[in-house]
Amino acid sequence: MRVEYINPFVEAAFNILKEVVDSDIKRGELYLKSTSQPVLGVAAIVGLAGDVEGRVLFDMNEATALAIAGQMNGEELSAFDDLAKATITELANMITAQAVTKLHELGFTFDLTPPAIFTGENMEVTDAGVEALIVPIELSQGKMEINVAVRER
Amino acid sequence: MSSELIDLNDLDLLADSGDESKDKTDIVDYKMVTFSLGGKDYGIDIMKVKEISKASKFTYVPNSIPFVKGVYNLRGDIISVIDLRLMFHLPVPENTTGIENMIILRLEENTIGVIVDTIDKVVGINSEKIQPPHPLFGDINIKFIKGIVENEEKLYIILDVESIFDQKAAENALAQKSYGTGSLASTSDTATGQPVVKQSSKDGNNVDYNFIVETLATFSHFFVSPINEGWVKNRFNSWSNQRASGGLSVQFNSAAEANEFLTGFASPNSGRFWEADYSAALSEILPDNESGTYNAWDVGCGKGEEAYSIAVCLKKKFGSKKIRIYANDSDLLNISTAPNLIFTKNSVPEMYDEWVTEGNNGWHFTSEIKDLILFEYHDVTNDNQFAPVDLIIARDILSYLTATDQQKLIEIFYEKLKPGGILIAGSNEVISGSGWEPFNKGRVPAYKKI
Repeated sequence: MRVEYINPFVEAAFNILKEVVDSDIKRGELYLKSTSQPVLGVAAIVGLAGDVEGRVLFDMNEATALAIAGQMNGEELSAFDDLAKATITELANMITAQAVTKLHELGFTFDLTPPAIFTGENMEVTDAGVEALIVPIELSQGKMEINVAVRER
Repeated sequence: MSSELIDLNDLDLLADSGDESKDKTDIVDYKMVTFSLGGKDYGIDIMKVKEISKASKFTYVPNSIPFVKGVYNLRGDIISVIDLRLMFHLPVPENTTGIENMIILRLEENTIGVIVDTIDKVVGINSEKIQPPHPLFGDINIKFIKGIVENEEKLYIILDVESIFDQKAAENALAQKSYGTGSLASTSDTATGQPVVKQSSKDGNNVDYNFIVETLATFSHFFVSPINEGWVKNRFNSWSNQRASGGLSVQFNSAAEANEFLTGFASPNSGRFWEADYSAALSEILPDNESGTYNAWDVGCGKGEEAYSIAVCLKKKFGSKKIRIYANDSDLLNISTAPNLIFTKNSVPEMYDEWVTEGNNGWHFTSEIKDLILFEYHDVTNDNQFAPVDLIIARDILSYLTATDQQKLIEIFYEKLKPGGILIAGSNEVISGSGWEPFNKGRVPAYKKI
């Protein structure tokens, strides 16, 4: 992954999560993963197109997703319903959008696709031909992994 | 009359809303203590600053890292004191009084004093005005910078103190680990392995050799295979003699010794800009191609010196072609400084003069050269997605991968090279196998894809 892309994603994730979810947030060591990887249970995905192509995946387990959605809505949610899903989708959108804005300022232009959310057990994601940058984030609600797989066109 | 009143009110309202939007960026919600280091202005979030003071007579702590000035007694609390200038490799002005300006930071876990050139004042700003750090900043790792802000025509670099001192702890851990990528678990392995080796020392020399091969993998992550066996065997002989004459055991007792064993393995000009003669030697063997483009792949470019050297070399030889260099490394810290590598003028040989220029932070390459290189954080053992290349530079990379990965990578190299393209391996590495034709002209051993 191009070096210039890394920081905007990490910073955007950090800023947004700190602002809307939890001020006590820790970032783990970044690392690279090859193509196939398991998904924890709730995965919001935002596609990128333009100078690069790829996608950003926000991966967490259902309990974490529920807690985050609850925190963002200011109420306790008991089931992972439409509201919770919409909230997580929005979170994914906010983070990706801020990263893309930052990249735009650095002179890279690309567009976002509308976010989509996947839920289920024993899921796995495979990107043919791209390695993913993993940004592990520790929140008091649980662990979230931001998985960025983009490549130059 | 009444209509006039309404009008006036409306005007007021308009004026109010105008003020409000203007005020928004003027609201001070972030205060920072500003100070200077090496002639530049910096800021630290005031919430992290406990106090500022002038201090002298630090108690030196033996065996500490150079930038740790010592400890200081702050009204009964013992705090450690760090010289930020030394930590960031900035010049330290002469100070005859011995009294230093110190900012006492209150961090999550402890209190720390940092020494700076001069402390300026407290500046209040709106946090929305803080711009993200641009990767151009050279002397301080971008990770440590929270952002940049302008105030009264001065630019302040806001340092992220939490990450600086967190980072330090992390680096310490890293330094210990880098001696043996095999980490603690494998070190204990070798410890238990040692007695076994000693017991069965019938064919001592051979056993020693095998032991060396194993510990090289543990301590230095260096894997002996047909690629580098020739060099390792030779080195083993000279090593045995050297150790015997010093009355020492042939085997390694520490990672430092394993690294000492590997002295001389590295290719010429590793980790710095290539000297003119090396660059010329490479230039001589580069095959031309008929197309208008020339692609190269620099595997394991580290901090980027190698990639820039290649760029200049190619630029000289194929100036008229469209040159593209894919440079990657799996070490995030190294690669993140590569796109904006800053260096001192005397670290670059004369031949690069045409393409280097001085910026605010030091010397760097001109965009004419920079734009030829695409730096990526990438692990070569994962998928490699890019166009076929004319040239692959993988000096001293294969030996640091496991035998399986070595084979896999050689296959990838073969697949990625255009027919007739060449692979430059390390000076002490040998690539064999079908499809490769050794092509040793002069100082740069190369292999041609046939």
